Amino acid sequence: MSVLSLTGVSRWYGTVVAVNDVTFEVGPGITGLLGPNGAGKTTLLHMMAGFLAPSAGEVRLDATPTWRHPEIYRQIGFVPEREAVYTFLTAHQFVLASARLSGVPEPEAAADRAIDMVELRDAANRPIGGYSKGMRQRAKVAAALVHDPPTLILDEPFNGMDPRQRLSMMDLLRAMAADGRTILFSSHILEEVERLSDRVLVVVAGRLAASGDFRRIRRLMTDRPHSFTLRSSDDRRLARELLAAPEVESVELRDGVLTLRTGDYGALTRAVAPAAQRAGVSLFELRPADESLESVFSYLVRR
Amino acid sequence: MIVTLVSLTLRALLNRRRTLLLGLLGALIVVVAAVYRLGDPVADESFEFTGRLLADFGLAVLLPLVAVIIGTAALGSELDDGTIVYLLAKPVPRPLIVVVKLMAAWAVTALLVAVPILLAGVIGTGGDPGLGIGYCLAAVVGALEYTAVFLALSLITSRALVIGLAYVVVWEGVVAGLFTGTRVVSVRQHGLAFADALVGEGGVAGELVLEVAIVVGAIVTIGAIAMAVRRLSGVELRGETS
Repeated sequence: MSVLSLTGVSRWYGTVVAVNDVTFEVGPGITGLLGPNGAGKTTLLHMMAGFLAPSAGEVRLDATPTWRHPEIYRQIGFVPEREAVYTFLTAHQFVLASARLSGVPEPEAAADRAIDMVELRDAANRPIGGYSKGMRQRAKVAAALVHDPPTLILDEPFNGMDPRQRLSMMDLLRAMAADGRTILFSSHILEEVERLSDRVLVVVAGRLAASGDFRRIRRLMTDRPHSFTLRSSDDRRLARELLAAPEVESVELRDGVLTLRTGDYGALTRAVAPAAQRAGVSLFELRPADESLESVFSYLVRR
Repeated sequence: MIVTLVSLTLRALLNRRRTLLLGLLGALIVVVAAVYRLGDPVADESFEFTGRLLADFGLAVLLPLVAVIIGTAALGSELDDGTIVYLLAKPVPRPLIVVVKLMAAWAVTALLVAVPILLAGVIGTGGDPGLGIGYCLAAVVGALEYTAVFLALSLITSRALVIGLAYVVVWEGVVAGLFTGTRVVSVRQHGLAFADALVGEGGVAGELVLEVAIVVGAIVTIGAIAMAVRRLSGVELRGETS
């Protein structure tokens, strides 16, 4: 059992603040680090894995600061986002070298086990240079878990994997978490985090926007005001009809675009079609206006 | 652990086409010696010519060129392409990484330089191994000092190869030639001092006393290793986007 803890951690590059006063703890189980690209996820993970010095604050694995303490790598397995690998090695050689450098007692057996865990047996004796992105990713994961670390940190581990590989990697991580390991992975894809993690940390623009149980955060996300744009045969008439509906908070008709705002996503989508029918208007399109992950994140930050 | 590190480094270094090109560069000195020999020169002259060839081409051009390319690549190429993360994410003491990488780079450099020098020495003098062995050993010693400096350089700047080449040309080639005082800290002069002491007659007289060369050379080498360890322990990895 190991716990990664960050206390008042900031990191800046020159005048650019990448991570701003972040405090949290990651314990056993799967934790997802969610945020848009450029939010500071990699900077956070690199500080946790001891590859970056915090400009302020402290990052510890249990009692040991992660920066400048290479002995922590007996406890940590790290899967970087960068695709760079030793292209001239086969996966077996790569994982075996990892086992040896980690000081594993039976490196051959450990390498075989790790390769089986990521289902890379068939390709294990081919040079990594010829691998697909998903296969490289699995080779990296095998190298990171070959020494059976209690903590696993993965930066965007599902990038480049096809859906089947994604599912089996999720199963693998779940099984490892069930054994009491601390697993932290980053992603910019909401669904990945939703399917895998018990707990999420949401980072936006270097700050921790939300943390805790995923369902609670999901509710925060769905309860926020939503905007929809509409196209119909008679927008003005439909607007009048919708204004009377209790689900609709506001209606705006500007530059020929009809925009609705609501606090209840589901009820609104159910109310629009009957309203159009009542008004005798043909409905062409109903489109959520702000469903991008970025807008969800920025909403969370404002709260 | 050490064997794994050595084999990873050697595979990365020897896998590359440039190592083959450096091998060809080494072959050049042997070819020059052979062509010279074909002219059937007088014995005295052949010693002088071969001594010049080994000093002015072997120690002055071949050695620093091979050392700068191998020395800056031993850790530098992993830093450049990001694979260093797999090494840094291991509980391997950083001084051990530096020393093992240096030993591997030294061995490769020495092999690529000392063998052609030995061959050229033997061929150029018409079968006398003395000159070749002297310069060959001097090259081996010089290779350690050069690779240590260039390995440290690769941890200080991402333009280590360019700066290293500039150092070889400007400092070793021009400054140390113009101002005798700077020769004390010239790797090339350290090598020449060794060659001079080993070869005796027929050698190109170096400018330094052997003892000075040994002391300064050792200080430079150890200083470079210490600097490299310090830098490697503080290497920060950033994400691709940041």
